[in-house]
Order: sequence, then C-alpha cells, then structure tokens
Amino acid sequence: VVDQIRLWQLEGDRMKATPGFLFKEFNTQADYEAPCRYAEEIGVLVWKQDTQRKFFVTRHEQVAAFLRSRSGKGG
Amino acid sequence: MPKAVKGVLVECDPSIKAIILKIDQDKHDYIVEDLDDQTLVIKESQLNRLKARLEEELANTQQMPEDSGSD
Repeated sequence: VVDQIRLWQLEGDRMKATPGFLFKEFNTQADYEAPCRYAEEIGVLVWKQDTQRKFFVTRHEQVAAFLRSRSGKGG
Repeated sequence: MPKAVKGVLVECDPSIKAIILKIDQDKHDYIVEDLDDQTLVIKESQLNRLKARLEEELANTQQMPEDSGSD
C-alpha cells in the first residue's frame, strides 16, 4: 500500500511534466535575453537558465517569429 | 543561430532525476537535454514509457533501506 501511495506522489508532486520547446544555443547574452523576456511577457515561459542561455516554452510559434524578426533587423 | 527542440520539460527531485538518468543509460532513448539538478527535457513520445519505467524502478528501490534514519 505504501508503494502505491509513493507512486501517486510521483505523479502529483515529485515530478512535473510540461510539453513544449527548449530554446538554446544563443550566441550572446543579449540574443538570449530578449526572446526569453518576450516569452515571459506572452505567458509561455516555463523554465529558464540564464547562465546556460536556455529556456523552455509551452508554445514556440510566437517566439520563433520574434527571433526571425530580430535576426532580420540585427544581422 | 538559436535552436528550438521539441520535448517535455520534466521537473523533479534530484533523486527522481538520478533514476531517470539511470534508465536513460541503457539506450539513451529518453533524454533530449539534461538541464540541471532537477530539470531535464525528454522525448515527448517516451513520456509514458519513462513514467512506467520510473514506477518500476521506484518499486524496486523501495525494497532497499537506502534512505532510512529520518524520524
């Protein structure tokens, strides 16, 4: 019985699974920060790690469009 | 150029994560990216299989007195 309770705990609090997309391999901190902030603003940001320059979002379309528009401008 | 990789973000105890790493060692079939102590990205198609394996592993480890002494 105890084992079964533990297994339920795994689903409940011990493990959280969120489908989505990981963005990574940004060349500079500035390249990373802008889309990360944008993702947060539009409410799709789930996780980020500044030092690794990686972030995870539930939806990628808008963030991808944001990145495209920036790369067009900047170079 | 930044990359976007599809997957499932898994946030869990370091102890659970250690088990996931162990499961992945067999075939490297689950993990897309190891992010930190408590976070990793796995293949979406493997989520249910991973959960099943995890439950198996937990059932096994709980038979061993590995973390006793906290009263």
